[in-house]
Amino acid sequence: MTDTTPSEGRQPRASAGEAVRNSLARRNRKQMVLQGFGIAAIVFAITMLLILLTSIIGNGYHAFTQTHVELDVFIDPEEIPEEGLPRGDYDDVLAVAMGTHFPDVDLSDRIATRELTSILSNGAQYILRDKVVADPSLIGQTISVKVPVSDPYDQLHKGLVERDTEEQFRRLDNDAIDRFDRLDDLDLVSKPLNTGLITQADSRFPELAGLKGALVGSFWALLTCFVISFPLGIGAAIYLEEFAPKNRWSDLIEININNLAAVPSVVFGLLALAVFIGWFGLPRSAPFVGGLTLALMTMPTIIIATRAALKAVPPSIREAALGVGASKNQVVFQHVLPLAMPGILTGTIIGLAQALGETAPLLLIGMNAFITSAASSPFDSATALPTQIFIWADSPERGFVSRTSAAIMVLLMFLITMNAIAIYLRSKFERKW
Amino acid sequence: MYDAPHKDKDVTQNDIKISARDVQVFYGDTQAIKDVDVEIDDKTVTAFIGPSGCGKSTFLRCLNRMNDTIDICRIEGKISIDGEDIYDPSIDPVQLRAKVGMVFQKPNPFPKSIYENVAYGPKIHGMARNKAELDEIVENALKRAALWNEAKDRLDSPGTGLSGGQQQRLCIARAVATEPEVLLMDEPCSALDPIATAQVEELIDELRQTYSVVIVTHSMQQAARVSQKTAFFHLGNLVEFGDTEQIFTNPKDERTESYITGRIG
Ligand SMILES: Nc1ncnc2c1ncn2[C@@H]1O[C@H](COP(=O)(O)OP(=O)(O)OP(=O)(O)O)[C@@H](O)[C@H]1O
Ligand SMILES: [Mg+2]
Repeated sequence: MTDTTPSEGRQPRASAGEAVRNSLARRNRKQMVLQGFGIAAIVFAITMLLILLTSIIGNGYHAFTQTHVELDVFIDPEEIPEEGLPRGDYDDVLAVAMGTHFPDVDLSDRIATRELTSILSNGAQYILRDKVVADPSLIGQTISVKVPVSDPYDQLHKGLVERDTEEQFRRLDNDAIDRFDRLDDLDLVSKPLNTGLITQADSRFPELAGLKGALVGSFWALLTCFVISFPLGIGAAIYLEEFAPKNRWSDLIEININNLAAVPSVVFGLLALAVFIGWFGLPRSAPFVGGLTLALMTMPTIIIATRAALKAVPPSIREAALGVGASKNQVVFQHVLPLAMPGILTGTIIGLAQALGETAPLLLIGMNAFITSAASSPFDSATALPTQIFIWADSPERGFVSRTSAAIMVLLMFLITMNAIAIYLRSKFERKW
Repeated sequence: MYDAPHKDKDVTQNDIKISARDVQVFYGDTQAIKDVDVEIDDKTVTAFIGPSGCGKSTFLRCLNRMNDTIDICRIEGKISIDGEDIYDPSIDPVQLRAKVGMVFQKPNPFPKSIYENVAYGPKIHGMARNKAELDEIVENALKRAALWNEAKDRLDSPGTGLSGGQQQRLCIARAVATEPEVLLMDEPCSALDPIATAQVEELIDELRQTYSVVIVTHSMQQAARVSQKTAFFHLGNLVEFGDTEQIFTNPKDERTESYITGRIG
C-alpha cells in the first residue's frame, strides 16, 4: 500500500496495487468474521463456565459452615458410671441440659423429650462421649459443649427453609421452629466453620458427614496409581522411543497404546472387576484396586506424554553426547531424560488429575460403599472423592445438596491445583536449547 | 601394513591414520556418497571442500559412525582407522567416538553449565582422578578453543546462554577435552567472527602436532590456510584429492578448477 506513490505513473503497477487493495479489504472482512466467531465461542464457553461455577458455589458454600448449639451439660455420675464410660447414657445427659432451657417440657414424657432433643444432631451424644472418655475427670462437673444441630434445623438457621411456607409442607412444625428460636434468642446458636467437612468420614446424617474417608481413599488410590503407572509408563516409553527396533511390531504396539488411551473408563472398571477382584481375589472397594484400575488408564497417558517429551529433545543434543563418546544409556539417562522430565511430569500430573476425577471404574469395583471411617491402609474399604459426590448426590436429605456441591468444590480445587502445577512446570522449564 | 609406530613424533613421516575404500552411503534409496577412496594422514589437516549437499558432512559422519544413529542410513565399503575396520562388529562405536572427536555443523552445547559441557567427556571416560585435575582439563580445553578469557568468570552459567560463535568454540573445547586422536570438524568457523576464526585456525594448526584433523569448510581461503591435504567432493563423488597446494594452484579436474575459481575469483 505504501508503494503507490512511486508506481503512480506506470499503468500495470497501479492496477496491481488496486487489486491488492481490493482483495485486502475482502481478506480483512473474512478475518473479522472469523475473529467474531472465535470471540463469540469463547464468550459462550466462559458464560457456561460461570453459570456452572456460580451454581456450584452458590449451593456449596452453605456446607462450609455448620450450625452448632452451645449447652452447659452436667456430667451426671448416675447416668455415666465411671466404669463402662463408653456405655453411659449420654443421650439423657444432653436431654437434661436441653431441658434447663425448656422448663415447660416434661422430661419424663418420652415423646416430648425426643422432640426436644431432635434439635441436636444424632452425633451430639458421641461427641460428648468422646470428650468424657478422653478425660474421665469431667464426671460430676458441668461442662460447656458446642454440638452440631440436626440437618433440618441447620437448614432453618441457614435460611434454606422458608419459614412462611404452610406448616404441612415443612419438615419442621411451628413448635419446633419456636423451640429453636428460643435457643437462638438465648444466643446459644452459632454457625462456625464446618471443619467436620474435612475431618469426618461419611455419615447418614448430613450434619455429621465429611469428606475424610473420600480424601483418604482418593489419596491411597492416587498413590497406588502413581507408584505403578509412573515407573512402568516411563520405562515403556523409554524403551519404545529409544531402544525398540522400529518395525511392524513396534508400530502395532504404538497404535494399541494410543487406542488404550481412548478406551472408555467403564471398560477398565469391568476389566478390573473381572481380573483384580474376580481372579486375583483382591478386596472389593479397596483403594488399592481402585489405584490399579486408574493406573491402567493413566499409563497410556504417561507413555504418550513421555514419548512426546523424549521426541521433543532435539537430535543435536543426542549427537553432541554421542560425539564425545557417551553410550546409548548415558545419552538417554544423562541428557535426554532430564531434558524431557518437565514434559513427562506435566503429562503425569495431567494423567493423575484425570484419574482423580474418574468415577465410573471406581463405581464398578465398589468404591461407592457406605463407609463411616477413613481407610487406614490401601486395602481397607473406602470411597473416593468422585464416588463420594456420586453417593451424596443420590441422598435424599436436604443437607446433602449443599454437601455435594461442597465436595465438588473440593475436587475442583484439587484438579485446579494439579493443573496449575503442570502449567507452572511447563512454563518454568520451557525448552532451553 | 599400518602398524608403524604412530607415537613417532617425526612430522615429516606421516602415517596413514584413516583409510576409506570404496565407500558408498545411502539414505534410503538415494545415494549420497559414491565410491569414495581416501587416505587421511596422521598429524595432518585434511580439508573437505565442495558445493552444498555434495556429501561432505555425510562422509565425515561415517568416520566416527555417527550415521549409525540415522535409521535409513546404510554404509558400504571399508573404513579403517589405524588399520582397524571401524565397522567391524567387534568395534564398539562408543569407544570409537571417544577416539574420534567431532564438532558439528550447528553448535550444539548441552543445556548445562559451560564447565559441565567441557567436563562431561573427561568425566564419562574417567580421565580425571579428582576435581583439580578436571578443572585443569576444562581450563586447558577452553584455552585451546580460545574461549577461556570470555568464559572463565561464568563457568557455571549455561552454555546455551553464549553467543553462536562462543557456543561453537565451546563445542570445540568439549571435543578437545577428551583428547581424541582424530578430530572431525564440520564447518567449525561458519558462525565465528574473523578474530575467533583466526584463533580456531591457530588451534587446528596446534592440534596437527598430535592429531589428525579433518575439517569441512566452505571457505577456500580457510582450506588453503589450514590444510595440507584437500579433498574436493562433487555430487557424492570424491573428484580430486591431493596436496592442498596442488589442488589450489594446479587442479587436475576441471570441476575442481571451476569450483575453486568460481569461489575465489
Ligand atoms: N538424514 C538424512 N536423511 C536423508 N538424506 C540426507 C540426510 N542427511 C543428508 N542427506 C542427503 O545427503 C546429501 C548430502 O548431504 P550432506 O549433509 O552430507 O551435504 P554437505 O556436503 O554437508 O552440505 P553442506 O555444505 O550444505 O553442509 C544431500 O543430498 C542430503 O539431502
Ligand atoms: Mg554439511
